[in-house]
Amino acid sequence: MADDSPASHRRDPIKSSVGSVAAQRRRQNAVTVGKERRESLVRAKRLCRVGPSGDGDVPGEENDMVTDEKGFLLDAQTSSAVEDLKSAVAYQGKGAMQKRVNALRELRRLLSKSEFPPVEAALKAGAIPLLVQCLSFGSPDEQLLEAAWCLTNIAAGKPEETKALLPALPLLIAHLGERSSLPVAEQCAWALGNVAGEGEELRNVLLSQGALPPLARMMLRNKGSTVRTAAWALSNLIKGPDPKAATELIKVDGLLDAILRHLRKSDEELATEVAWVVVYLSALSNFATGVLVKSDAILLLVERLATSNSLQLLIPVLRSLGNLVAGDSHTTSTVLIPGHEITDGVIKVLVKCLKSDHRVLKKEASWVLSNIAAGSIEHKQLIYSSEAVPLLLRLLSTAPFDIRKEVAYVLGNLCVTPTGGDGKPNLIEEHLVSLVQRGCLSGFIDLVRSADVEAARLGLQFMELVLRGMPNGDGPKLVEQEDGIDAMERYQFHENEDLRNMANGLVDKYFGENYGIDE
Amino acid sequence: MAMVVDYKHDSSFPYWTSIRRRFAPDSPFFSSGNIERELLAKQVALDFTEDERNQLEKMIDTDARGVFCPIVGCGARLTLLEDFEDHYNTRHTASCSVCSRVYPTSRLLSIHVSEAHDSFFQAKVARGYAMYECLVEGCDLKFKNYKGRQQHLVDKHKFPTSFEFFKKAHPSKKQRLKNQRKRAVNKKDEEVSSKMEVENEMMEGLVSAVSKLSTSDSSPSTVSFGRRNARGLTFVPRSVQPPLQKK
Repeated sequence: MADDSPASHRRDPIKSSVGSVAAQRRRQNAVTVGKERRESLVRAKRLCRVGPSGDGDVPGEENDMVTDEKGFLLDAQTSSAVEDLKSAVAYQGKGAMQKRVNALRELRRLLSKSEFPPVEAALKAGAIPLLVQCLSFGSPDEQLLEAAWCLTNIAAGKPEETKALLPALPLLIAHLGERSSLPVAEQCAWALGNVAGEGEELRNVLLSQGALPPLARMMLRNKGSTVRTAAWALSNLIKGPDPKAATELIKVDGLLDAILRHLRKSDEELATEVAWVVVYLSALSNFATGVLVKSDAILLLVERLATSNSLQLLIPVLRSLGNLVAGDSHTTSTVLIPGHEITDGVIKVLVKCLKSDHRVLKKEASWVLSNIAAGSIEHKQLIYSSEAVPLLLRLLSTAPFDIRKEVAYVLGNLCVTPTGGDGKPNLIEEHLVSLVQRGCLSGFIDLVRSADVEAARLGLQFMELVLRGMPNGDGPKLVEQEDGIDAMERYQFHENEDLRNMANGLVDKYFGENYGIDE
Repeated sequence: MAMVVDYKHDSSFPYWTSIRRRFAPDSPFFSSGNIERELLAKQVALDFTEDERNQLEKMIDTDARGVFCPIVGCGARLTLLEDFEDHYNTRHTASCSVCSRVYPTSRLLSIHVSEAHDSFFQAKVARGYAMYECLVEGCDLKFKNYKGRQQHLVDKHKFPTSFEFFKKAHPSKKQRLKNQRKRAVNKKDEEVSSKMEVENEMMEGLVSAVSKLSTSDSSPSTVSFGRRNARGLTFVPRSVQPPLQKK
């Protein structure tokens, strides 16, 4: 991975300024930077450009791709900044503290500039041990802040760079305590959030070093930026796959109340980060799900879905709702009772998401609906008679594949009764007939044609419902009209045996020799 | 799903059941939402143009959603799921210019043409040569009759018992009625005879099928049979003698 960084292309700074060689190298850079950029963009880590007290460079000034020369210069400046820090740390005389802070500040500025800060150069020059020293107890706040800020940005990049923070972790965690000044604690939380965002291994280290309780307590504070940073860091810390951290978090005294309070009242930016905490609580911990379902959480989530138009907020709120519905049958059976106001509210906001322009919202809203449609007959009737169905039918024919698949689950679930003990659910003829008459069959047959096994399976299962359940034996005729036989016959040479058997079975049963004779 | 040999008794079709579906937070189901989260969070700082945004999403999509073609023996990698339909129509619809049946590879098509439309082939069969090739590429076994090959496919290569290489084209309703009456009158022996007879009903069906001649056969060919580029009305010698098919 190190080879991809701009740094390694800067072996010949002399040549880079003139002619086609330079152009070629810049183009080469563009490709690798493209890939590296993409990876850096989807990381769960965040660079800090503006400090908790508001100081820092205006973002966007160094946006353009780091050219050979600029990058080389930045690396050189960084190395010398680390050297300066080294001597400042060693210096014992008058004005030592100011010297240290100045050196730290200079390093911090260099690490906060471009999209790809000179982390490698900093590490090579030996920044970490120096920064750890600057974190020692009793150090002045300004020093702690700048050191934590440097560490934050060192940890915001590649895996091996983040891992370099290991020696600093105990100190960073220690400075989260109530005794620390809030800006310092916040900056340490940010650094830890980046470390937690790296992966399971580092998460486990942090958890075993006791990072969770102080971060959780930070969420109980009043300052918005503190809560936001702590919430974000926690969302990285508890994301598992081990559910223990999530369960531990919900048990922290006052945490549930804080979550509900912020979901109810806070600005969208803060509510977004809190919602992500709820996402992970509800996805991982059954205990947390139970606690949340019994609280006002669902009402608050619905309220946010109804009133907000910020995609950033809607995604985690919708997903939290989805996790609460999916994770606990209790949710649909005791909270979302058909006929109750809250249930109508849920359907309404899900419809709003179906109408949105955003792919993620349409897909995940369909998923939530499919789980509600997996409830009782009353639930199915509720959805069937709602505004959702015409929207779903349209999505089934026009939306991108991943949305169509979820929509298929909703529609199919509407057509069968809840699974009883005997395993063969009955059809809800009224729903099936109506949906087929409104043209959903071709959408399902398209799924049969896809290369996705799950989708094909769904399509074949729905076809079976149609073949079996349409009155007057209309099923086979309808399927034939939509080229369903053709779609099924493709499976004769398909590598998946289950699908082959399903398709062949249907063709044999419904399109055998006697097909169409008794008309 | 349990493996069942005989599908006709329909005892193990996995019927649609409505169940709740839950996903772990790191499930691929959530990945597009997760990516969206991170992009949105960095958007303010990095100020993407609309164009850049679309490009990024496309790149991420492509990684996540590539798939391999599921047709036996193909293995082609498709960058996007949506590409499958085009790929299928280009590579897996080798169609017979005589009867317009469609096969997923040119090899299978040419096997079909020999077996169904070549009297020379039938002549050799009648004289006892093992002409029916195994359909699985690389197996190379040959059989004296259709049923023997069929049995081999089921026994050795785990093809389903309901598999039919030479599947009857769906005859017209009139024809189906005729068939039914014929079956009622004729309690014939179900065994496949090695003697071939031209069946009028097949002829009728084929004639109507011929009117739907297709010229599409652009499947890649590692084996060339000369028939592959069949375009227009390249009729094979007239004695169309399909093997008797009885279930």
